Amino acid sequence: MVYTKKTPWVLIIGIIMCVYAWLVQQQYLAGVIKYLETDKLAGEMVTMGYIFGVIGIVVGLWQQFMQPKEGHLDYYLSTIGGALLILLCVFAVKYGAEPVFKAWGAAAGKSIGWDFAKTLGINYILLGIIVGMIVVNVFKVPTWAENGVRLSRLGLKTGVILLGALYSAAELAEYSKWSIGLIFVFVLGSVGITLFMGRRRNIPTSMAGVLSAGLGVCGVSATVASAPVVNAKSSEIAYSIGTILLWGILMMFIFPPVGRALGMTYEQFGAWAGTGILNSAQVAAAALIYQPNGIETLKVAEIFNITRILVLPIIVLWLAVWYVEREQTAAKVNLLHVIVGKFPLFVLGFIVLFLLSTTGMFAPSHHAGGKFFAGEKAKLLKDEQIVVLQKAATDRPETKAALDNLIANKRVMSKEDDVLLRGMEKAKETPKEIKAVLKDAHKNAWKTSPRIGWFRDLIIWFFAFGLTGLGMQITVKAITQAGGQPLIIGTTVGTIKAVGALIAVLLLKDLINP
Amino acid sequence: MSEQPKFNRGTALSIFKSDRMEDIMALLVSLGIVIVVVALVPIQ
Repeated sequence: MVYTKKTPWVLIIGIIMCVYAWLVQQQYLAGVIKYLETDKLAGEMVTMGYIFGVIGIVVGLWQQFMQPKEGHLDYYLSTIGGALLILLCVFAVKYGAEPVFKAWGAAAGKSIGWDFAKTLGINYILLGIIVGMIVVNVFKVPTWAENGVRLSRLGLKTGVILLGALYSAAELAEYSKWSIGLIFVFVLGSVGITLFMGRRRNIPTSMAGVLSAGLGVCGVSATVASAPVVNAKSSEIAYSIGTILLWGILMMFIFPPVGRALGMTYEQFGAWAGTGILNSAQVAAAALIYQPNGIETLKVAEIFNITRILVLPIIVLWLAVWYVEREQTAAKVNLLHVIVGKFPLFVLGFIVLFLLSTTGMFAPSHHAGGKFFAGEKAKLLKDEQIVVLQKAATDRPETKAALDNLIANKRVMSKEDDVLLRGMEKAKETPKEIKAVLKDAHKNAWKTSPRIGWFRDLIIWFFAFGLTGLGMQITVKAITQAGGQPLIIGTTVGTIKAVGALIAVLLLKDLINP
Repeated sequence: MSEQPKFNRGTALSIFKSDRMEDIMALLVSLGIVIVVVALVPIQ
């Protein structure tokens, strides 16, 4: 079978992207960019526009003028059209829809006192998923794009692997001690409650088995991994996935506004999403909806998510024993074969990148979250800021010495000075204007490694691609597959997990927010 | 007897024949990115 469809759309999308990049580069869109306050993204618009545009034009021309033959080249090149359609959607929401909503929200804030864009967290990740859902449910994904949409999970997995480069050993130790405790309680608790409810409600053992893995561990992958162990039928796998997707999607939209209403920090929200949301993809989506232009929430959420993925072999083992005990006729399954065969390898990639990052391959080895102490390379404070600092007073001699050092050199001289000055900045009695200068001095003292900066930008693009593509896979049919008993059990366990995780994170909030 | 398909063309969710293959592809893409970033971008 030949998969490449003869369509002019790949070529057209390529041309649109190149023309857009050229218009931005030549400043023809300067007025619009200024109005939408997207000046900082202009460089990215040009680079991304040309890269993807040229790919679209080359592949589009190949599709038009060559006769593709059945084989791998035809199959894999047939994914380019769908990938470009997703990227066009990301362009449209990131550079167009999100800034427009932001401007409308700000205007509404001034006129009616409610900045709806800010309150509802309308950003390009959320809009990308919604656009994807509209495309598939209202218009249907065009046949020439169907193969490309199936690349979205690859994008998400690559994003998770690259995320490993952003962690430092200290950060991982800090969060993992909380993630291990919370995840063990919630994963084992969810699996236990699901199995108990399954028995009470008389659903087949195999159905309860896949549902418990899906609700307890990491959603769709866990359902698929546990299926052979409990001999699940394909219809039971489909019901389980339907339930998990329905809940994951619902929570993806509910978590961010609740987090905002409760004033949760990025770290607290990441811990809550990573524990309480059922499926990996929706964990990433909720984290990026909460903080679209930064990586802190995503980093914490993914540590919690990866911790629970690592629990998967234990759950598979538990389910195997549980299933064999209940089903006398159960065929013996080679457990080791299932665990080794189904373990998600991409998690190992994340760990390898984290180890490489710890060796100092991506940022100086003493970095924390990709930032290192800049020393002599630090940007200096302005003269007027020094004048403000001269009015500062402190009783503590060591803080006074650090302050004098800062005034004399216009930059923070050591990490020890930075700690002392941060303490002064956080103190209630410090006047606002002095706090602002101290904050700037701290910001100037720490630099982000350019390599880490690159990884950060690439990760955001992989997630934006993966999540918009994911939206294109959320069909009404998939959602309605959750029916009857699985939905009742899923609703109960999902609610307990989400609310329980929220309470746990709020109780531990001072510890999770170092 | 039905004829075996010549190529395995994945599932509704992925173009790859298995999760394992998709993981390997994600690892290869990541490896490529790491090599390019380390080779071209300065550390500080």
